[in-house]
Amino acid sequence: MLRYILKRLAFLPLVVFGVTALLFLCLQFLSPEMRASLYIKDPRQLSQIESVIEKYGLRKPMPVQYALWLKEVAHGELGYSETAKMPVSEAIRAFFPATFELTLISFIPIMITGIYFGVLSAVHRDKFIDHFTRFVAITGYSLPSFVLGLLLLMVFYGKLHWLPPGRYTLETDMLVHAEGFRHWTGILTFDCLLNGEWAAYVDVVKHMLLPAATLLYISVALLLRITRSSMLEELSKDYVRTARAKGLPENVVIYKHALANALIPVVTLASLLFIGLLGGVVITETVFDFPGIGRWGVQAAQQLDVPGVLGATMLAAFLFVTANLASDILYAVVDPRIRVGD
Amino acid sequence: MRRLLAAFVLPAALAAGAAAAVKNPETFVYAAAADIDSFDPAWAYDTMSHNIIANVYEYLLDFRGSGTTVKDLTAILSEKVPSRANGLISADGLTYRFPIRKGVKFHDGSLLTPEDVRYSLLRFMLADRDGGPSQLLLSPILGLETTRSGGKPVAGLYERAAQSVRVEGGSVVVRLHRPFAPLLSVLANFGAVVSKPWCAAHGQWDGRAETWMKSNDPAHEDVIPNELANGTGPFRLERFERTQSQVTLARHDAYWRGPARLARVVVKKVDEFATRKLMIQAGDADVINAQLIYQPQVQNLEGVSVIDDLTALEAPTFLSFTFKLDPVANPNIGSGRLDGSGIPPDFFSDKDARKAFAYAIDYAGYIRDIQRGKGRQAAGIIPPGLVGRRTGPPRYRLDLRAAAEHMRKAWGGSIWEKGFKASIVFNTGSPQAQTLCQMIKKNVESLNPKFKLDVRSVQWSTYLEQTQGRKIPLFIGGWGADYPDSHNFAFPLAHSAGYYPGRQGYSNPQADKLIEAAAVEQDEAERARLYGRLQDILDEDVPHVPIAENVRYRAQRSWVKGFVFKPTFPDMPYGSYYYDLSKSE
Repeated sequence: MLRYILKRLAFLPLVVFGVTALLFLCLQFLSPEMRASLYIKDPRQLSQIESVIEKYGLRKPMPVQYALWLKEVAHGELGYSETAKMPVSEAIRAFFPATFELTLISFIPIMITGIYFGVLSAVHRDKFIDHFTRFVAITGYSLPSFVLGLLLLMVFYGKLHWLPPGRYTLETDMLVHAEGFRHWTGILTFDCLLNGEWAAYVDVVKHMLLPAATLLYISVALLLRITRSSMLEELSKDYVRTARAKGLPENVVIYKHALANALIPVVTLASLLFIGLLGGVVITETVFDFPGIGRWGVQAAQQLDVPGVLGATMLAAFLFVTANLASDILYAVVDPRIRVGD
Repeated sequence: MRRLLAAFVLPAALAAGAAAAVKNPETFVYAAAADIDSFDPAWAYDTMSHNIIANVYEYLLDFRGSGTTVKDLTAILSEKVPSRANGLISADGLTYRFPIRKGVKFHDGSLLTPEDVRYSLLRFMLADRDGGPSQLLLSPILGLETTRSGGKPVAGLYERAAQSVRVEGGSVVVRLHRPFAPLLSVLANFGAVVSKPWCAAHGQWDGRAETWMKSNDPAHEDVIPNELANGTGPFRLERFERTQSQVTLARHDAYWRGPARLARVVVKKVDEFATRKLMIQAGDADVINAQLIYQPQVQNLEGVSVIDDLTALEAPTFLSFTFKLDPVANPNIGSGRLDGSGIPPDFFSDKDARKAFAYAIDYAGYIRDIQRGKGRQAAGIIPPGLVGRRTGPPRYRLDLRAAAEHMRKAWGGSIWEKGFKASIVFNTGSPQAQTLCQMIKKNVESLNPKFKLDVRSVQWSTYLEQTQGRKIPLFIGGWGADYPDSHNFAFPLAHSAGYYPGRQGYSNPQADKLIEAAAVEQDEAERARLYGRLQDILDEDVPHVPIAENVRYRAQRSWVKGFVFKPTFPDMPYGSYYYDLSKSE
């Protein structure tokens, strides 16, 4: 296993190289002046844009520019985001924790719900539960997230006053900015726990429930459908028939044998979902007034803030590579037959 | 669907309704639609920023209640409102004496001194950032529209300024270059007083003659950062959160007029109107930015009051053209050439191109659909209630045939032949401006399939930066009064040294002369005539296309008490002077 992981890790720089090269290639469609904004760390430099172009050889051949750009990126210099009014690296540090928390609180329920109901649907094929889960899945998949988000807000906030939008209430706002509150991790839920502030913890979680529920409903559909079809395929195979003939309990047949084999496409999809969530969920963050990386990325795109867009894209690419690696490792865990070079 | 939801949530809603008491009784929350540019009084020149400044800092004077005339002025940091009758204005109208109030404390606990007031006025004038507010005092006090010549600060200006603004005993004496009747009105909205020692300790100008040039035309990053403020106002800046675009103000307990009833004020940018609406419905916001287009949605909300038909002192909504664009790293001009894929930087220097746009606007449609029939097509740039406001028929109307004719003439026919592609920009959170941009796009693109307009939104602070940097070819503009006088509309919108022409690269010496003549003219009829001639020139030059006069309303929780509509107060009617407010059943 360790050898397999090391081999996969060895691919990582190549993938990063590919992603950055592609990004850089796309940048060549912009004028040198626009590209110069990537190297600007302070708006005052805008008045010296020609010297920036000269310094980074923005009129030189692409490989030269690429090497210089990579050097800057390696030093964490991603330019200045006009949208965030701060350097891109700082903006990522500021916006990412909120998205990370939202991902954490959404992803596990998405996985549990998707797999559980996918299996249930497959096992009870063409029964009521199958039709019901399929109906839920189809509506979830076809419902625009802003419609669902607004509906949930109208009911659980507008009518019931239970789950408000935003990051936290005014009380928590005061608390987390008080002098005594230590920001150990930058992740608010963890920090509330580490500071022993249970009420604040509950408040922060409460503020994430509606966006998380929206994400759950719109994301679970795909997972449920994939689990169901994969399970149906496995359940029709000979080894399942044999297991049943041997008199193994149905739960063992389903969860130990069939599900284990059905998980490969599920793991692939799960990793993509995870990346999608971490990369920011724009509409959900906007509707719920949640200050995450997706909202910033879209604002940057709307305002043609090139460094901001590239920063968000780089982050998404990095997350993709990492999650892809994690899913590759999980493949090997789920199915020991999978090895590099096999 | 509504019934279904109602049935589903009824039991819980009843429970919630029964407990509908004043939420956060000591904290006022304003859900805004735009972000904040700067809290530095010498830099800020936009309504969102000034709304915060007007609550954190104080001016020498203020308007009482909803008043807008000199007799409505009340003393704030000055102990008295200067007048000829009380001897604080000289007989020649050139010298104003402001006895400075004693015992006033800044938020850091230090005492206000006349030297702080003098320093604040000097800093306001001498900072003179490009496109900033300094000209409002520079012009009457020093007779200058700018502190720079050839892009460099003029030597000896500090000495002149220091001669014109002096401390005499406990008073600050201001000597004008020429009589300027609206001076007191200007000082009720600008020249907020900062603490000289505090500013110097925080890297700002130290007040010395030798150093003023270094602080002239500062970059945004060189002024007081948004995380810091130290005024004498009823609220102190507790926190500014950039990622959430949120400002938290806390009560200044040592405020000289007694502490405010509200303990905190939170001004928070919330992008989505639907979310803002739910916030006011739930009582988590006390007032929200809700433009006219949204009024039917908030009109009958339980617990929400609508104060209707408010007329702020503001110019009509207008479309502006930038005559000389900055092509460097400019995403709004495509290829930067007249090749069908972009526009050259001087595209709108051609009068026919501008006139074509003026004829392509559906004024009646805008008023009917966006202003819900409440507005009125504007015939000029001066708003109702001021001298020189035009009431006759507007020069331009929707006429696509005339628009096409002008487009055919523009750039010697090249535009018509090759087409163009450019951006029209509005600030995020303004659905009215967005719809207007889309209406313009539709009509202009209908003239010729080779014409392409991209509608783009940018955050308020970016909008300010990009218009100042001449990055935007076409934008939707507005202008709230700095002080209630026609000059405050004519100058910033039409004088070559004014706010908008400076951003547009527009200049007409004849217009400048008329504006300068009208500013000193005492006879009202003659002033009206001069402004009439000015607006004839603007009709022909078309630097802006006035579209419609605005009517506004305010949606606030019914438990908000004490709101006073101040026509010249920044960000009215959404923003407030929070000292007046309280929350109770």
